[in-house]
Amino acid sequence: MAEEYNKPLPEFRPETKPYWEGTKKHELLIPKSKTTGESFFYPRALSPGDDMTDDIEWVKSEGRGKVWTFSIHHMGPSKAYKGDPPYIVALIEMNEGVKMMSNVIDVDVYDVHVGMEVEVVFDDVTDEVTLPKFKPVK
Amino acid sequence: MSHNFPGIKETRELLKKKKIVIAGVGETEQGKIPDKSSFHFLSEASKLAINDAGIKKTDVDGLVTAFSLVENTFMHCTTFADYFGMRPNFFSSVAVGGATAVWMVAEAAMAIASGQAETVLCVRGDNTLSGISSSGMVALIREMCHAEFEFPYGLTTPGGYALAAQRYLHDFNNRPEHLAAVAVTMREHAAMKENAMNKDPLTVEDVLESRIIAEPLHKYDCSIISDGGAAFIITTEDKAKELGIEKPLAYLWGMGQGYSHQYLTSLQDLNQIYNAIDHSGQKAFQTAGIGVKDVNMAYLYDCFTITVLLTLEGLGFVPKGDGGPFALEGRMGLGKDLPVNTNGGLLSQAHLGAMHHVVEATLQLRGEAGQRQVENNDVAVVHGNGGIVSAHSTVVLGKEPLS
Repeated sequence: MAEEYNKPLPEFRPETKPYWEGTKKHELLIPKSKTTGESFFYPRALSPGDDMTDDIEWVKSEGRGKVWTFSIHHMGPSKAYKGDPPYIVALIEMNEGVKMMSNVIDVDVYDVHVGMEVEVVFDDVTDEVTLPKFKPVK
Repeated sequence: MSHNFPGIKETRELLKKKKIVIAGVGETEQGKIPDKSSFHFLSEASKLAINDAGIKKTDVDGLVTAFSLVENTFMHCTTFADYFGMRPNFFSSVAVGGATAVWMVAEAAMAIASGQAETVLCVRGDNTLSGISSSGMVALIREMCHAEFEFPYGLTTPGGYALAAQRYLHDFNNRPEHLAAVAVTMREHAAMKENAMNKDPLTVEDVLESRIIAEPLHKYDCSIISDGGAAFIITTEDKAKELGIEKPLAYLWGMGQGYSHQYLTSLQDLNQIYNAIDHSGQKAFQTAGIGVKDVNMAYLYDCFTITVLLTLEGLGFVPKGDGGPFALEGRMGLGKDLPVNTNGGLLSQAHLGAMHHVVEATLQLRGEAGQRQVENNDVAVVHGNGGIVSAHSTVVLGKEPLS
């Protein structure tokens, strides 16, 4: 675990509590409307579908997906990222059909490509917060 | 895409009857100007536009402003009304990022059409280059991406556009030089504009050899940050005559918006972006009763090179994916197929949203663009996008009244 974590932490909303409780237990939970059966991401209090339901199920994901797009960042957004570049920010298309923004780690940044198969890994950045990240499927 | 928009016919008749015009424009010096505040620029730009129209400050009865990246205000339009010393009958702050300036034209037109005001000052100004702190820059990207599900992963503003650019290159088998070519044409245009910041010649190689910010985007794929202000006056042809305005008028022929997403996480595919651009453009084109072939020049939001290619294609000027080759063949240059951003755009003139795009389109329609003058100057399109290619607005402007 990082001694001191200066990078931005997620700014929680009450309705996303199950998601972050899940990541802390190293489980990736993706919300799903119980009326339409559609998964959605990012988590919201009401389904963003036409059903507008608040009857939401949190479904444990296998954590697999593909890189839909990525950027090798050669500069971070702030001083807190000093020493990190080059790093990958990517949009992952999950097998559930939703997209997640994340980092692809444990990889040579120049090996990352669109369509690369990735799986979730959990980064316990603080005692309170665990960020899901992705690594290539071996 | 074919559309059946509600109210197109009525809007067209309204614009034909009301004859809404841009009757004055102004832009202050652009660059690094550390001794002037955001409200100083707003005031200077307003004065320039009022003087350009040749009217009195008291002739202005409506005010549309935007926002400041430096001085955060809860009620931007009324804060400026107080500073500038006016008591407008209509006031509104438009805040849709890079789609703002284009939509200010529409906001003013709608206010005039509904009798809220007769002569509306639209103004933006900011000391972004000198006044913004590094925490302000971080706040900007925090606004553009999701604070909970995107921001913690170290996304930068160029990085957001790089994500769109990477997928664009992948989907159409285009290359970074296709992006770079956009910056090259903008630089050629800026060299002809007196009030432009970056005029030194630039080649595709220069762009590709410049510092990599967020692959596939290089330093010169990114727009500049600047201090400055710009303004325009919206009224009707009848009111302009009554006020004795002698400048040629630029006529509003159509307007439209289109929305794709706020957060990239919510992006299904690039078609979602293209459809939003198409929606915005088609609404404006259909109201104007024109097609892309009737357009003599285009002002396309160029915060990063990728946005120009997506917009060029989304508006239907070229098929999807063909924007890159179109740019690389220099066909967006003055005197070529479709002159784009003859002022040098955000990439080389200055960055004040699309304010300068609206000002330049007006100067071109008035035949006052000097060595940058487009020969056939009947119809101009101005398109802005806010967020990461997410919120779109388009206006069509004509040299003659809509008929």
